[in-house]
Amino acid sequence: MPESSAQLVLRGVTKRFPGVLALDGVDFEAHAGEIHALVGGNGAGKSTLMAVASGAQKPDRGTVEIAGRPLTELSPVAAREHGLAIAFQHPALLPDLTVTENLMLSVPAAKRPSFGAAARWAEQRLRAMGMPIDPAVPVRELTLAEKQAVEICGALACDPRVVIFDEPTEPFMAAETDRLFEHIRELAARGVAVVYISHRLPDVFALADRITVLRDGEVRGTFNRSDVTEQEIITRVAGREVTALFPDRASDPGETVLQAQDLTSDRLGGVSVALARREILGLAGVEGNGQREFLRSLGGAAPARGRVTIEGRPVDLSSPRRARDSGVVLMPQERHVEGVATVHSVRENLTVAATGVTSRAGVIAARREEQLVHREVAALGIKLASPDVAVETLSGGNQQKVVLGRALLSDPKVLLCDEPTQGIDVGVRSDIYHRLRETAEGGVPVVVLSSDNVELAGLCDRVLVFSKGQVVAELTGDEITDDAITAASLTGSVVTQEKQAAKPARRRRRFLSGEQGPSVFLLTAILVLLAVGAGQNSRFLSGFNISSMLELAGPLLFLSAGQLIVMLTGGIDLSVGPLCGALVVVGSFYIGDDYAVIWWIFGAVLMVLVAVGVGLLNGGLVKFARVTPVVATLVTFMGLQGLSLFLRAVPGGPIAEPVTSFLKAEVGPVPWPVLAGVVLLVLFELASRRSVTGLFLRGTGSDDKAAHKRGIPVARVYVLSYVASAGCTLLGAFLLAAQTGIGDPTAGTSYTLTSITAVVLGGASIFGGRGSFLGVLSGVVLLQVTQTTAAFAGLSQAWQYWLPGLMALLATGLFAQVQRRRKPGRTAQPRTDAASRRDRE
Amino acid sequence: MSVDLREPRQRAGQRPRLLPRGPFVPVWVMTAALFAVSPVLAPGSLSGSALSSMLPFAAILVLAALGEAFVITQGGIDLSVPGAMALAALFATKVPALTGLPLAVSAVLGLLAGAAAGGVVGVLVVRLRIAAFVVTLAMNAILIGFVLHISNGFPASANPAVSAFATGSVLGVPNLLIIAVILVGLTQWLRRRTVAGRRFVSVGANPAAARLLGIRAEGYRIAAYAIAGLLYAVAGLLLAAYLRTPDILLGNSYQLSTIAAVVLGGSLLTGGVSSAVATGVAAVFLTQLNQVVLAAGAPTSIQLLVQAAVLALAVVARRVPFGALVRRLRPSRPVQ
Repeated sequence: MPESSAQLVLRGVTKRFPGVLALDGVDFEAHAGEIHALVGGNGAGKSTLMAVASGAQKPDRGTVEIAGRPLTELSPVAAREHGLAIAFQHPALLPDLTVTENLMLSVPAAKRPSFGAAARWAEQRLRAMGMPIDPAVPVRELTLAEKQAVEICGALACDPRVVIFDEPTEPFMAAETDRLFEHIRELAARGVAVVYISHRLPDVFALADRITVLRDGEVRGTFNRSDVTEQEIITRVAGREVTALFPDRASDPGETVLQAQDLTSDRLGGVSVALARREILGLAGVEGNGQREFLRSLGGAAPARGRVTIEGRPVDLSSPRRARDSGVVLMPQERHVEGVATVHSVRENLTVAATGVTSRAGVIAARREEQLVHREVAALGIKLASPDVAVETLSGGNQQKVVLGRALLSDPKVLLCDEPTQGIDVGVRSDIYHRLRETAEGGVPVVVLSSDNVELAGLCDRVLVFSKGQVVAELTGDEITDDAITAASLTGSVVTQEKQAAKPARRRRRFLSGEQGPSVFLLTAILVLLAVGAGQNSRFLSGFNISSMLELAGPLLFLSAGQLIVMLTGGIDLSVGPLCGALVVVGSFYIGDDYAVIWWIFGAVLMVLVAVGVGLLNGGLVKFARVTPVVATLVTFMGLQGLSLFLRAVPGGPIAEPVTSFLKAEVGPVPWPVLAGVVLLVLFELASRRSVTGLFLRGTGSDDKAAHKRGIPVARVYVLSYVASAGCTLLGAFLLAAQTGIGDPTAGTSYTLTSITAVVLGGASIFGGRGSFLGVLSGVVLLQVTQTTAAFAGLSQAWQYWLPGLMALLATGLFAQVQRRRKPGRTAQPRTDAASRRDRE
Repeated sequence: MSVDLREPRQRAGQRPRLLPRGPFVPVWVMTAALFAVSPVLAPGSLSGSALSSMLPFAAILVLAALGEAFVITQGGIDLSVPGAMALAALFATKVPALTGLPLAVSAVLGLLAGAAAGGVVGVLVVRLRIAAFVVTLAMNAILIGFVLHISNGFPASANPAVSAFATGSVLGVPNLLIIAVILVGLTQWLRRRTVAGRRFVSVGANPAAARLLGIRAEGYRIAAYAIAGLLYAVAGLLLAAYLRTPDILLGNSYQLSTIAAVVLGGSLLTGGVSSAVATGVAAVFLTQLNQVVLAAGAPTSIQLLVQAAVLALAVVARRVPFGALVRRLRPSRPVQ
């Protein structure tokens, strides 16, 4: 093939992460019209290489060239504009946006269709995949395979010169895989360079023209498919040198301790295992084939059905707590997520696991604890200056020893280790291997899950290889070699029944659980309340009452619109209420009957400046100082209250009459600013669905990392949303000024809660991404009708507090339940996310 | 056997320090500095009478902030302080007068009401997974609704017996301060020296890891809100008693100042790192700061601005990598 047809050229790419050399001088080329497969074991460097190729990671050394142009800019969109598209293994989709909207954001701006033509455009793109996907459905409701299909469509919609598929067939059924392969061959035939990353050698041999093997960050050869056999590739994928010192194997495994029968879950197809007294059992397999679910279900950390006995007695493994009561202790994989509290010291992390031995009647004996800490630190070989240093300051290896220590201190009968040596260096590995062998020798069987086959081969007495939720091979003694495990996991296949993905009755449910669904409930509630009110008092539906109701609702309409803008990004603006009040107070100094009109204008300009300033301050605190939105806007909330009270300790400064009567002018029974507010909300709703700005806003709140990958300027969106909120509050402040007619320092404060209530009543998610401006409209009207009904019914002032409070709780509570039912797989763990972010800093 | 290989990433050169370091130290320095300059900024602000008027208010803030610290240790946030304090205050004023209940019974009921409100918040936050700020903001409104409902919007006087206790002192030390010190000490001891306390903090630092250790993470998190509610109620009752005829919404300024005290004391808003003593010291700092500002002739409204500014500075300062800056200024030290 001529050199000029190379579409993707990587030269000498080296990338080092702390402690690991991920890529070491890698050269890689993909030519126009070829399908070039990249194979390698877990952690061989494939994903890092492709991250470098797509501009997501900057290489320490080396160059990237796409379609003949060097890639210099490190940005998620630069590579896309050069002509490279990538379909990620874990789709970087925005869950709250529809399929169409996601596809639009997948392509460079120049290739985006207009919003009018988008639906048809998306349908055409999807048809090529041959899956019946409705483009109007939010992505969160799709199955994994459908998401993968959308991800692939998005990559192809860029009309790329180079396209990278990262493990694309993982969630697919056989028929879908065949269709994808056909599609990929067509692409190649049209002259696109295809890079195909996969663990599955049968797939690779069915598809690829050339195969490059990567191992330990180095290229171990590039072959024409016709020139090699599967076995030759396996030898190259495996074949790592044994770099760590392993202890001897068990001479006599002893009697059975743990017996698991027919463990079944959605990722496990009936696994039975017996575990002997002095044995180390290894679990192997390509990532995601059920081995982790098996281990975690034994530890009580994942649900599974089946029968487990320990020393003949059946045990309850429904929670980690129950599992521990039976003596099963799990040492988890990601130490930052589940293993240790990284902000705490080594002492705190170790002793909290050993309170059983160090305490009497719930009180901890300091000396016994001190001895225990010293003994454990020495036994584990943790190197540190003092046990009081925080775990986050230790190296990965020492952190891992703390995790192991926590597990051993719990005095287990069975020890489960999930990736016990992930990301740590050779010396520490050896320490951990010996400690595990000692544990097994002491009569506590150990189960080790590892993606490092050399480690399993060196350490284990027996290895089970998983594929698609079942054990496909069992290796014992000298059979256990790196090669044998690799071969079994790459080629081992189980005939699984084609599961019919249970699809919910979407159409009907989508309307009620969709973004406009809450409005239907709210409108019903509004009608009921109006009927109740009218039944109680004939004046309730009089023109005067209706117009005064609407007038009262006016400020809230604008404040809630601003609140929703912020909430769509996943933030919150507590300062809207006091800002509204403060703006009126500021205006009240200039917009008075005694002043010339020029001063009125000056006052209005000053109000604009204050609003923009507060918006920028909120946005700046959240984005640049990384203060959580609640605290950041609470600071401005209090500051603005102080400012209002400082400027006017008591209400004063009547607002000029012409201004108030202008703002109170009515069209029919409706004050015109309220009408304008309704129009504004409708426009906002349209913009949020049918403008790129709207997609940016909702996309950011839906998943900010995926949004960044899609080229959304996340930081700018965050800051500007707070400015927009302050802008809306400014409009609301004019209405409040007309309503109160005076600068009242405390008038606005209560609007903060009611604005949040209105927004969540309208179906918005506190966590961002979802929300409807029409829902806000219904929410505001419902709140106002409720208040007025309460007033007509002679309910006391207390109800003015109870009603919005209870309505906020009900709305968010119901929403949380609906959300949870809809995505059972995604258990929210915002804390661990925060914790891991902290760890990186 | 063991292979002894040097850890390449281990930070070398951990030398013994002359001064203690850690997140809870700066607040002591700041507080000492503030007291040192107080007489300069506002003459007489360290006089015996100034201190004896400042300390009871400091004690109230210490108690309320201690409650907030329980919640923040669990990575939550509690905006219901004003409502809980105002409701509890009624149990020292209105409730005994309206119902004829003995004061002690009424006070206990007030404390239980605070704990119950906190417990409800905890269940809603932890079990139903509603955002803490929404639940506590709504709960605040609901509690204030109760305050208006019971009081009809009119303040009442506290029972003279309880007022006498709240304004009294032992050997010149205000009773309120003694209560605050005892509760802070108790909390500190519980967290440091008891199994429950250790587990509580460990859940706050990483609930998922605590769950794997077999700790009932959800229970501890719910308890945090309930204990917080109880402490706000203690603060509200005592404040009402001290003020004799309190404003019905006496807790409003505590919504922010409690959070400010906790953050200033060195606690992490993400949870897990917190000290009862440091929180208490920060509460004294904030109260004295207000006192100085007032004594210097500023109006009360300035207090809000000052507190907002202090909290903003405290959270922003947390983000500045002072350690890294110092290291960069010292080139002699080897990097890694």
